[in-house]
Amino acid sequence: MLGFLLKKDLLVEIRSREVVISMIAFGISVTLLYAFAFRPSPELIIVFVPGLIWTLFLFISTLAIHRSHSMEKEFDAFSLMLSAPIDRSTLFVSKSLSCFILLFISQLVLLPIFSLFLQIPSFGKLSQLIGIFFLVDLGISFSGSLISGAVMRARVNEFLLPLLLFPIVTPLMISAVKSTTAIMSSAQISEWKIWFQIILTYDIIFGLLGFLIYDYVTEE
Amino acid sequence: MNTFHSKLSSKVMASIVAILWLLVLYSVLFLTRVDPQQQMAQKIFYYHVPSAWTAGLSYLLVAIFGIIYLFKKDEKWDHFGYAAAELGTLFCALVLITGPIWAKPIWGSAWSWEPRLTTVLIMFLIYIGYFLLRNFGEVNERMRRISATIGILAFANVPIIYISVKFWNEEAQLHPQPAMGSQPTDVYWTFILSLLTFTFLLIYLFYYRVHVLRLEAELFRKRDGL
Repeated sequence: MLGFLLKKDLLVEIRSREVVISMIAFGISVTLLYAFAFRPSPELIIVFVPGLIWTLFLFISTLAIHRSHSMEKEFDAFSLMLSAPIDRSTLFVSKSLSCFILLFISQLVLLPIFSLFLQIPSFGKLSQLIGIFFLVDLGISFSGSLISGAVMRARVNEFLLPLLLFPIVTPLMISAVKSTTAIMSSAQISEWKIWFQIILTYDIIFGLLGFLIYDYVTEE
Repeated sequence: MNTFHSKLSSKVMASIVAILWLLVLYSVLFLTRVDPQQQMAQKIFYYHVPSAWTAGLSYLLVAIFGIIYLFKKDEKWDHFGYAAAELGTLFCALVLITGPIWAKPIWGSAWSWEPRLTTVLIMFLIYIGYFLLRNFGEVNERMRRISATIGILAFANVPIIYISVKFWNEEAQLHPQPAMGSQPTDVYWTFILSLLTFTFLLIYLFYYRVHVLRLEAELFRKRDGL
């Protein structure tokens, strides 16, 4: 069932291409603003890049998270889906995974553009960076899908999502920025493993919480 | 008309809180010694720490009432959770106001990215979102469930926020860690009295808010002819 739900979400995206293109276009616009606001200097940029890149990714993630639930409001599709014999926890996992895939693809496209515009000499070990992207995206998708599912029927839910999501993902953002800084400065894993552990703990807690309580959040 | 204060227990509770509050004020101003290093700024400790304690206790209660609500679906538990959330945020605001008043003369700057202070600020922001959510939507069964969920999420996040901020800014000036057991008697007992007063204040305000929320719910039910 998870495969069907995920396929449905991804098929909608492949046909419309509205979310990934919006995320990438928004990401480029923000990168452009960063380039103008912080005139790049190779010595200084390395200090700011991890923070800039993760705020950018957090901003674009809200587009995917919001859209994943708001599109289900059209023609009351979500109510129909809830009335189908589908386990709600499976629905949570499928929504999280579809957000995760869209976010991850957008990041892979945006990373070289970001690097080009801000003239970043090196991101360090790319495999480690991609690993961190993978884990942080999972955390953002888990907490985002849970909150988005909760606020989707509220008025002005588009305001409420970032208002609730941003403070909740603070520990994840701190850890993401710190580990990216360490990877960019080619630090040993032992020096930054605490951040990796915090990200992993966050993913497990929010993954489990979402799995357990998404049912209550979305119940009619 | 029966008001909250028509009940004897409410009157007794209000009187106890008022007397305790005056006792703490007198004790802080006249009975406790002036710290030789921090001078008068130290006296805010008798209000700052109990505010933080009551804020933490309230948010713990929001999470507990939230879990119970999700299982029992009884409106009473939502009233309890919402009242605790309001009070937690009120005491959180007190922590965020009294903290910088103390920090300015002692640390030299009103704000420090210290783990506890930062955790309180993040909790405060999460609860601003919580109240906006409740105010933007009709308070129905679904909204109550969502509120309960956010209360649980927020509390589950506390240790992760604390640890991440602690490692993020290791050089931050930390809160003083006085061992209360080794404090002079005047400091120790005034602190305990203040802690007790704030806890009583929390209980009193909690019952008051629950009473008002129950009346509101009854009013809405009558309005809707239920």
